[in-house]
Amino acid sequence: MKHLMLLLVLVATWQAACADTEVVRTDHLRSRVVAKTTAAVPGQSLQVGLWLEHDPHWHTYWKNPGDSGLPTKITVSLAGVSTNRIDWPVPDRFDLGTIVNYGYGGIALLPVTVSIPESVRGQSSVTLDVKAGWLICESECIPGEANYSLTLPVAATAADDDRWSSAFEWAAARQPEVVSSRASYRIEGNDVIVRFEGASWPSDLAAWQLFPAVQQLLANAATGRWQRVSQGWEFRQQLSEYFDEAPAEAELLLTNQGRGLQLIAHLDDSAAALPISGESTDSVSSWHNLLPALLMAFAGGLVLNLMPCVFPVLFIKALGIAQAGGDRALLVRHGAIYAAGVVVSFLAIAALLLGLRAGGSALGWGFQLQQPWFVVAMTVLFFLMALSFAGVLELGGRLAGVGQHLTEGHSDRSAFFTGVLACVVASPCTAPFMGSAIGFALSQPTWWALPVFASLGLGMAAPMLVLTAVPALTRYLPKPGAWMQRLRELLAFPLLLTVAWLLWVFGQQTSTTGMAGLLAALIALGFALWLFHQARGVVKTSAALVTRVAAVVVLAGAAYAVVSGVAQSEAKAQSPSANVEAGIEAWSGQRLRELRESGQPVFVNMTAAWCITCLANEKVALSSAAVKQAMQRAGIVYLKGDWTRQDPDISRYLESFGRNGVPLYVFYPAAGGEPVVLPQLLTAQVVTDALTAP
Amino acid sequence: MKKRSLHGFALLCAGLLASPFVAHASKVGEPAPAFTLTDSDGKTRSLEEFKGKTVVLEWTNADCPFVKKHYGSGNLQQQQRNAIAQNIVWLSVNSTAKGREGNVSGADANKIRKEQKAAQIAYLIDEDGKVGHAYGAKTTPHLFVIDGLGVLRYNGAIDNVPSTKVEDLARATQYVPAVLASLKKGEAIKPSSTQPYGCAVKYPLVNAEKEEDCGC
Repeated sequence: MKHLMLLLVLVATWQAACADTEVVRTDHLRSRVVAKTTAAVPGQSLQVGLWLEHDPHWHTYWKNPGDSGLPTKITVSLAGVSTNRIDWPVPDRFDLGTIVNYGYGGIALLPVTVSIPESVRGQSSVTLDVKAGWLICESECIPGEANYSLTLPVAATAADDDRWSSAFEWAAARQPEVVSSRASYRIEGNDVIVRFEGASWPSDLAAWQLFPAVQQLLANAATGRWQRVSQGWEFRQQLSEYFDEAPAEAELLLTNQGRGLQLIAHLDDSAAALPISGESTDSVSSWHNLLPALLMAFAGGLVLNLMPCVFPVLFIKALGIAQAGGDRALLVRHGAIYAAGVVVSFLAIAALLLGLRAGGSALGWGFQLQQPWFVVAMTVLFFLMALSFAGVLELGGRLAGVGQHLTEGHSDRSAFFTGVLACVVASPCTAPFMGSAIGFALSQPTWWALPVFASLGLGMAAPMLVLTAVPALTRYLPKPGAWMQRLRELLAFPLLLTVAWLLWVFGQQTSTTGMAGLLAALIALGFALWLFHQARGVVKTSAALVTRVAAVVVLAGAAYAVVSGVAQSEAKAQSPSANVEAGIEAWSGQRLRELRESGQPVFVNMTAAWCITCLANEKVALSSAAVKQAMQRAGIVYLKGDWTRQDPDISRYLESFGRNGVPLYVFYPAAGGEPVVLPQLLTAQVVTDALTAP
Repeated sequence: MKKRSLHGFALLCAGLLASPFVAHASKVGEPAPAFTLTDSDGKTRSLEEFKGKTVVLEWTNADCPFVKKHYGSGNLQQQQRNAIAQNIVWLSVNSTAKGREGNVSGADANKIRKEQKAAQIAYLIDEDGKVGHAYGAKTTPHLFVIDGLGVLRYNGAIDNVPSTKVEDLARATQYVPAVLASLKKGEAIKPSSTQPYGCAVKYPLVNAEKEEDCGC
């Protein structure tokens, strides 16, 4: 029995020796032609394959090579009949910056199926002549070609050749399943939108990548985005730079971890599909995007009222309204003027931002806070407000009184400037919902962007407007009394906390020395105000003058401390942010690309020291043990980008996701899966779910 | 502030910065990006200089097998001579980064021109890839045609048979001569945009991105 087994093995080995050709060595490639089975059976089909072993980092191409390269060609000839149809396995995506290719690296097998004619029955063997040509590239490209001759015994039955079974299995596993489910595509402005209708698509479609099998339709290097629509999914990607004509049918490949679905998307020209140039089509197509953006902006504005930096200001104002009581007409008027103040300030910031962007700056929302000077101004503002609230600073003095005059009292002017103040103090807080609305706004023509910002302002002003417009509501406000003074004093403390936070932001932008400088400047400011206050009480004019001069000198000292602090930020801007915690790498486009190319899963966190939402998310979700564990287990590389200072790289990265502000969280699954954008408000559960999604 | 101007500027900046995330080519029908580059003779050349004339831009890299096909066969030289005979400006551009295969000094470029018996008006060196990115040049060869008004009229491949083999030229349609003929006759250009084929342009690998680069 043992001997029989041995004999069988020997025979099998001998037979198998025929089912391949010699390895052909060409530049950076070893290739051979192999057969799936050990013999050719007349009247049946035979699968052969071009077996390729690429040098590390070198690759050959799919039927759509992408932005450069050439598809591999194979011709198999047998008894005067030749075939060149390759059953393309699902390719990998190779990202070389602005150039994207589809192809194969490492070991790959491109199968070709040939029919073995009945006429070879009776022959002892058949010989297939195979001719193959390819382009192999790393960063440079070398064309290659070779001829192979594969001789197989003719037999009535054939067994699989074990030596190549894993290669053929790889190719079989990567054979896309041809699906007939309904898919259509249309062109909107500069985007292609592919629509996947019905329920027959995978439920996790958003985790799939879409490779075009046709050229000149999708921009290969652009990042596409999935969106759930009422009857399925839509995938939006930038139109190819070389788009010429929309084909009636476009072959596309959906891929996810080597699995593939091959489909035909039909051109849907019913929906005002015609592209390309011209503002009008862009704008028309934006109509149905504008309304949601307006609503989201409005909601975002509402939420801003609850932000810790804004709330005290508004609460005091609301109490002021309650106090004012009587004159309804005046109240309504002030409410409207307050709203105007908020809206005008938002529009002013938006106009400035749009103007700077038109001038070419890669800025995004929150850009003000990237300027150390703005942070200084905010710190001083909050510090003064806190002093005033606490009653430490009696704001009768002329200097400090300017702001007071503007925002207190019941004049139209005060109502307007309360609105401005509310907007200014709110600007650090990009509330949830606002991110995408602002991202949308900034990607639109100006006349679209400004309404979105106006809507944001209206949302923020809405509670006050309602309060002033509906008299009945003021009845629910508590009766004025001595408690108001105490509450006012109490609210000084959240303001001081805001000061502490802004000091920290400034410290991030500059250094601890810069932060100490600003802190000293605040104390000096307090001292100068105290001196001014003293001067008012002094009877002798010379003494008053000396006190005032001293106050001015102290202020000058404070200014100097701040200027030298800001100068530190210039110095710091030169050196990349090194203060990244353990287990977290600093984000760079280059690093992200490298990791993606090596197939590693990556989590990207775009944050800024001045973004409260970001800090909260980091504290609550990202630094939690559960998330850390999930990352470790899955071998996810955590990249953190710091937008505290201006960084055009990061601005563009945000833009590629339609965003213009932080936070942004993106998870890139292993093996080049489609990136998943996480919500702007995180919990540990949300993050672990996203990281461990199949 | 129209969307286009806003975007145009941002895109130009993005292009100049060699951003890996924004891949925008200049578009047919829109003004071609202005540029100023040094040619292989050390002379400063700009698009402005050729105002009023049709300009062909040809991205090149003599080490690329696709470029070798079209110069080895004499196809590109022939197209250059025919164009120049019609008072059309033909400029070759090399955006290969320093240290990457195909990067040339002025002297190298002149040597290559001599060997190829090429006839371009000038061979422009764009080592930092700024102009390449501004145009969205992806491959060598990659061809652009700009009309006398400075509007981009063609962006794409040299011909319709992607291959590295000289023998394929016999069955290929050369796009640029057809574009130039249509321009001359004032006809619509068809096709005005094709998928370029060739080697990827070897842009700088590390993005030494500085804000000042694009005057942001």
